[in-house]
Amino acid sequence: MSLLRRLAYRCRALFHKDQLEQEMADEMRFHLEQRTADKIADGLEAPEARRAAQRQFGNVGSIQEKGREMRGWTAWENFGKDLRFGVRSLLKSPGFALLAMITLGLGIGANTAMYSVAKSVMLKPLPYPDCDHLDQIYRSTAQDPEGAISAADYLDLQREMGRYGSIAAYTRGDMSLSEPGQPAEMARAIRVSSNFLSTLGFQPELGRDFRPDEVVQGRHRVLIISQRYWLNRFGGAADIIGRTVRVDGESHEILGVLPAAFNDWRHLGSVDLFRPLGFSQAESSDRTVPRLQLIGRRANSLTRNQAEGYIASFGKRLATEFPEANAESTWYLVPLHDVSVGKGAAPTIGMLIGLSGFVLLIACSNLANFLLARTMTRAREYAVRSALGASRTQLLRPLIAESLLLAWAGGLCAVLVAFWFSRWLGMRSTGDNGESVLIAVDWTVLSWAFVASLLTAVAFGLAPALFAMRLNVNATLKSGARGSTGGRGQRRLGQLVFIGQFALAMVLLAGAALFVRGLDDLNNRRAGWESDGLVAATVLLPPANYPGTPEIAAFQRLTMERLEALPGVKSASLSYSLPFFGLADPRKFQVQGRETPKPGHEPAALINGVSPHYFETVGTRLLKGRAFGDGDNLTSPKVFIVNQAMAAGLFGAENPLGRRLARIGTGAPEWGEIVGVVADIQSIYPDKDPVAYQLYQPIAQEGQAFNEIAVRTNGVAPASLVDAIRTTMTALHPDLPLRKLQPANARIERANYQLGVLADMLSLFAVLGLGLASLGIYGVIARTVAQRSGEFGIRLALGARVRDITRLVLVSGAKLAVIGSAVGLLGAVGVSRILAAGYPGMRLESGPVIVGVTLFLLLIALVASYLPARRASGINPIEALRAE
Amino acid sequence: MAAKSDLLQGSLDMLILRVLSRGELHGWGITVKLEQLSKSALQVDEGTLYPALYRMEAKGWMQAEWKVTENNRRAKFYSLTKTGRKQLEAVQESWERMTAIVALVMESA
Repeated sequence: MSLLRRLAYRCRALFHKDQLEQEMADEMRFHLEQRTADKIADGLEAPEARRAAQRQFGNVGSIQEKGREMRGWTAWENFGKDLRFGVRSLLKSPGFALLAMITLGLGIGANTAMYSVAKSVMLKPLPYPDCDHLDQIYRSTAQDPEGAISAADYLDLQREMGRYGSIAAYTRGDMSLSEPGQPAEMARAIRVSSNFLSTLGFQPELGRDFRPDEVVQGRHRVLIISQRYWLNRFGGAADIIGRTVRVDGESHEILGVLPAAFNDWRHLGSVDLFRPLGFSQAESSDRTVPRLQLIGRRANSLTRNQAEGYIASFGKRLATEFPEANAESTWYLVPLHDVSVGKGAAPTIGMLIGLSGFVLLIACSNLANFLLARTMTRAREYAVRSALGASRTQLLRPLIAESLLLAWAGGLCAVLVAFWFSRWLGMRSTGDNGESVLIAVDWTVLSWAFVASLLTAVAFGLAPALFAMRLNVNATLKSGARGSTGGRGQRRLGQLVFIGQFALAMVLLAGAALFVRGLDDLNNRRAGWESDGLVAATVLLPPANYPGTPEIAAFQRLTMERLEALPGVKSASLSYSLPFFGLADPRKFQVQGRETPKPGHEPAALINGVSPHYFETVGTRLLKGRAFGDGDNLTSPKVFIVNQAMAAGLFGAENPLGRRLARIGTGAPEWGEIVGVVADIQSIYPDKDPVAYQLYQPIAQEGQAFNEIAVRTNGVAPASLVDAIRTTMTALHPDLPLRKLQPANARIERANYQLGVLADMLSLFAVLGLGLASLGIYGVIARTVAQRSGEFGIRLALGARVRDITRLVLVSGAKLAVIGSAVGLLGAVGVSRILAAGYPGMRLESGPVIVGVTLFLLLIALVASYLPARRASGINPIEALRAE
Repeated sequence: MAAKSDLLQGSLDMLILRVLSRGELHGWGITVKLEQLSKSALQVDEGTLYPALYRMEAKGWMQAEWKVTENNRRAKFYSLTKTGRKQLEAVQESWERMTAIVALVMESA
């Protein structure tokens, strides 16, 4: 009851303030009137009685003030008053308010946007139930620390998996899909073991999962499709289950449609078709071709450590039982979530958050600086108020209110910036399949913005508040109308802001410049090949129609002939892969006449199968020997071509031509003769260390389903050939889908678009940071000059020349800038290290870039100091002295 | 002006509560009553009285109501609530114990 009454009272105090005020006044007037009447009754005259009553009553205002405090809302009311005062004073200087809002908005906005990226990329769990029980299983070898697993090893593991839980295998491989009357198209697909979906914890939304017997040859022509593919390709047809489509030239039945949630873009996001993964007799016993990816779901009874130990000991057993294939290989687990986020992503995103934090820090120190300057010009006002008895709280409250207001306004701007930024990022990072990475701005993101703006308010509101607290009233009042000249402490604070901003700007700018430069280098890397005047396309030869090398060789012969007959075409080639997009996985091999290396220590090379005109088409120079010819086929002896590094590494100064190599595999080695040496090539992919050894073999001696077509023009624009190539291909093979048929340069540009996004973001932060920092540096120097105008006046009066004054200011700015750049250099090196760890294939150290950035920033600092310096030199000594 | 006796800290609240326990009164009435009861030895300072009234009202010890006085004037009448009565009992008890202890010490020392 009492609580209710008190609550009611509080509410009344809050919402019926006027009424309460009125009542209080009435009550006291009544009291006074009674007292007066009392005095009159005692015999005093009416006016005299009223005066006596008032005297006795005391100060009505102060009693009422106490009464208000008793009501309990005074603190809030005062705060409201401070806020209103803050709004008025900000409106009086709209330029400052606007600048502050934009500064903060950009700073907090960049930070908030980065947080939302981190959230949608790293923090959000994958859609699979109990995702923390899911791990990717790797087999680490000397060649590949994240190696795949062979079919025989997988089957062994699966036989013993009872203790572990369930282990599913998959292998990626796109396929062609066609329906009668429609052009063939290539679809992203994977082959999965029959327990794949149940291991991940999903079931098809429509239809059913694979049955274990459907991995067996003959019953394997079934498909499960993604929701997106169902909607886009089949228009969400209701009768989709049981429909048959032609996949790789064979009729397949659609069994099910997956739920939309299954396609998280971070894991398997762009896969549209799922096919059963079966093994032929030969594959089931093969331990040398690792091509399977494994995902394990450990049983609830198993701890993570136990699961790790289990997998590791399984790997050890394989290594002892099958040393020729598994020696020196170790098995280990990586949480699926970490795999999907990607190795480079976490440090990169962490770094981006850090860098956006730098932008925010610069923004904050700028604002602190601005506010400090504002407070200092009002130092006299504060001194007067303090002398008149204002308490510290009373002095500080309006300052704090002002910075809170700015922070909130800035926070609002930041939310707008974050929305805009997320949308831009979503659009910018739209993938090849037209699917954009959705980066949602949700409540947690907004609360991040709110918290960030509050912290910011504290950060930049503190400086002027501390200043006001430490104000020496006596000195300020004596120092005349000019406001505070600022003590040593203030000047040091200004210098610290200068150095800090300069260093932060340096880190931002150097990081961005190094990365942009590295990406440019990557995209323009044409080491060992030539992309101008080249058209490329990917083609898939379905095993149903092209079951073996003879058929693939026939395809190659006919297609290359037709393409080379086109007007404008100089040469055409077919190959497993194109030089700029990296080659296939490395394969181990041995040299004839040399001791067989210890298992696990064999040299490895990237292998590319090529057609006769490949080297001239892609522009890789032949250094020694000959290229492959039409005579190199299944009936002729096996031949290889090696790159320069491999020739030098294996044979040194000896002549490599005529030496014989063989891949290490099952059965007896198939020796092939080295007939040529070509230049080294470097891929443009940034995330893998380049493999030095490169080995080529004729497609006509070993064909595979996936191939790249390359066409070199004889000078005409590559884009003009695209249609002709498509028409030729369709006429020859109506069922073959061609993907990514475009000029090679367009494809190269597209290849690293994600890095382009990163480069854009780094540049954006750098531009923001630089702009804000130069503003801040200018502000610091300008204030110093204003504070020292008296001193400059005296110097001028004593005969100093204008030049000397300018130099004085410039030198003091340059000194700070040099210190700042030294500090910033350390940070810049750190940033480039983080980037280099995420992208080992990029060159991220560049002396010239660092020097250039340093010089550029020093120049900016000099300009920012020169402008106020010129003002200093314009000081009229007489006026400056008189003002003291 | 009669000398104001310094009231012991917190005792004004108790006196007000005690005066109001006999029935509702307005601020002026409380002043008069306290003067009468103390035979003019106590003169309550309005600067203390009203904040004390507001504080106790906010605490829920008393409630206020606007009523017409015998002289046909509108005035704010305070009366004790249930919690107010409990509070009075509590402070009165501790006051009595306190004064007894003080008296004991003063006499026997």
